Amino acid sequence: MDWAKYRTTTFDELIQADGQPRPAARRLVEYLGGLSGREIAERQLAADVIARVMGITFTVYSDGRNVDRTLPFDLIPRVIPLTEWTRTEAGLKQRMRALNLFIGDIYGKQQIVKDKVFPAMLLKDSVNFREQCVGMQPPLGVWAHICGSDLVRDGDGTLYALEDNLRIPSGVSYMLENRMVAKRVFPELFETSSILPVDDYPAQLYDTLAALSPRPGDTPVIALLTPGVFNSAYFEHAYLAQAMGIELVEGNDLFVADDDCTYMRTVYGAQRVDVIYRRVDDLFIDPEVFHADSVLGAPGLMRSWRAGKVALANAPGAGVADDKVVFAYVPKMIKYYLDEEPILPNVPSFLCHDAKERKYVLENLDKLVVKPANESGGYGMLIGPRSTKRERDKFRKLIEADPRNYMAQPTLALSTAPIVTDDGPSPRHLDLRPFVLSREDIYVTTGGLTRVAMEAGSLVVNSSQGGGAKDTWVVDMSDEGMDGESD
Amino acid sequence: MLSRVADNLYWFSRYVRRAENTARLVGVGSLLQLDLPRSVRFAWRPMVDTVGAGDAFAELFPSTGDDATDADVVRFLLLDERNPSSLRSSVDGAREILRGIRDTLPGEVWEAINDLYLYIEANGERGVSRRYRIEFITRIADGCLKVSGLLTANVSRDIGFQFLRLGTAIEQADMTTRIIDAGASGLVTPRNEDDREAFQNMQWMAVLRSLAAYQMYRRHVRQRVTAEHALRFLLQNSEFPRSVQFCLTRALSVLPTMPPRPGVDRSLNRVVGLIRNADPAILAARNPAVFMDEIQVHLGTFHAALADGYFRG
Repeated sequence: MDWAKYRTTTFDELIQADGQPRPAARRLVEYLGGLSGREIAERQLAADVIARVMGITFTVYSDGRNVDRTLPFDLIPRVIPLTEWTRTEAGLKQRMRALNLFIGDIYGKQQIVKDKVFPAMLLKDSVNFREQCVGMQPPLGVWAHICGSDLVRDGDGTLYALEDNLRIPSGVSYMLENRMVAKRVFPELFETSSILPVDDYPAQLYDTLAALSPRPGDTPVIALLTPGVFNSAYFEHAYLAQAMGIELVEGNDLFVADDDCTYMRTVYGAQRVDVIYRRVDDLFIDPEVFHADSVLGAPGLMRSWRAGKVALANAPGAGVADDKVVFAYVPKMIKYYLDEEPILPNVPSFLCHDAKERKYVLENLDKLVVKPANESGGYGMLIGPRSTKRERDKFRKLIEADPRNYMAQPTLALSTAPIVTDDGPSPRHLDLRPFVLSREDIYVTTGGLTRVAMEAGSLVVNSSQGGGAKDTWVVDMSDEGMDGESD
Repeated sequence: MLSRVADNLYWFSRYVRRAENTARLVGVGSLLQLDLPRSVRFAWRPMVDTVGAGDAFAELFPSTGDDATDADVVRFLLLDERNPSSLRSSVDGAREILRGIRDTLPGEVWEAINDLYLYIEANGERGVSRRYRIEFITRIADGCLKVSGLLTANVSRDIGFQFLRLGTAIEQADMTTRIIDAGASGLVTPRNEDDREAFQNMQWMAVLRSLAAYQMYRRHVRQRVTAEHALRFLLQNSEFPRSVQFCLTRALSVLPTMPPRPGVDRSLNRVVGLIRNADPAILAARNPAVFMDEIQVHLGTFHAALADGYFRG
């Protein structure tokens, strides 16, 4: 692989501005440099075959049929020095502590609103606020047990928090499988470098869930609730259930009896369930309380949860903090609840419900990224610098009609990393989704899922929109006599 | 074991076994056709009734009836999605079920089913033509047996496996009675009354062949093929794995490993008694079809008892 022609216009995760590899990536870049184009192609092919055989797929429904697609996997790992990761990890833990305190406060005394740190108006109009959760005190005070936070790096090298997915974040199975593939393709590098392992996650997730059991002491019965085989993340649901040795259930497998306990229908008869890792949106988990026509959940599940007979992760209502407008308040939450300075900066945000900020947004639509508060998967966004006048006019109207529901962020010069192309290594924009587990302590995955835009120049990394993935290496440089810092 | 998963495992193995038997049935019909002299007419229609698709067929081909062309019927039996028991419907059914329980069976099983599915998609129409039919059918039967082999070789003998065994046993018992039924109701009609017996025996040979039983019959029975011997072998032989008796005994052996459900034991023992007390000589002299129908009804009752006992939870 020839690095001589590799050029990028922004911060690159592997290569410095002077064309030299970053210290943490030096061994990797040198190793790849020693491989011929043909060897690279062979390894890429091997990686694709392994991914297909392992069944690393997501499901797309088209032409009335289900199609399993494999997530494009790029061979070249993204490398993060341990020193930087340690700081990032501390920042993520800090965010999570503040977010869980915030959610508990919102469904409790709402002190943050009374103290005028968080506007009451935002709460009133929040589509993810669940009246039914008011007054609830889930075990350990944790609402969002599993969070996927998206981080991006700007051109100057600063790592920002972009959003916190507190509802049903997905992608962790790809992180685990990407590592399996990388180990098979680059065994030599794993032998000679200190690449920190990631495969602890299923065990950590199991412990997180088990800690919630309403029958402590006993071996808890834990189930993963999936919307079923038509869901695009079904592969991940099956994968995690299998990796943890828990049951993979659908709504019809569950029922809530008169004793308010939740049961699974098994061939031995009804079996009580203690903890449910729900991968169904909370509006669909209980037709008695939320969408009455939902068949994805089980009638009475909220009653069972409120009675403390079953634990749900994430807790219903946790999504109230998964709102791109609420996101903008996370630094204030950190100060308010923890009396600390945020370790990880937020991507600067302009909130359209504020007249002054809205005016700025409307005047600078061509420079900003505009996002609706509650969409995920990269849908419904305006990317200002790439937009047409017609699209901007459309968003102007949308914002004026419903300012609460929109926020804008400056277009970052997202960092890049090289991917394998027919013409050698070529830079693509990427982000990073670490997964954060909250129980008594907080666990953060080592690195996370690196999502990469496969098209040159594209800023959209979502798998539903053609994004791919890379393995993510947190590299401990201490035995190489370096601290991994550069620039 | 979740009730839904047990139900799915049971149907998965039924569909796989059904696909294999359907393919064999068409294969043997095609070969039999070639053996017959011009004076003897071959009728596909009993095969359509055999798989319980008579009504669906009549709806699609209202005018043709018994005169439906070879290709019409074979396409209907192998490929038609409107025929709920066509080869394609069975393979699609198995694949869709497996998609929902992929985590419970080894990955190779998914690959093997997916391979069958893709093969039918790519080569189905070609398989209808006489030139390639046998090749197509052999490949399908092999593919189904590969799935059975993977299940036997690689799946832990937990309770889920017992549902796989039950599904295979019931489906084979049911298919065996259906194929006997087809043979008895006359696949060939000789124009000359004197030829009747000779061709009838040919018919029973075809029945044995479509159950992969001809060679084993020869070793066990050591007599030329007659209706009575064939019936005794296919209903009551305790060593041949596609005989009704063998399948039911296997199902019986599974029940003690499962949570007890008296209704299930009762309904199974009823069919077992029925088979044990049958007299093949009398059946051969009369029309065995009535008896086969009776067994099918009782197998249906057994299936319903299983569903009540285990699949509703």
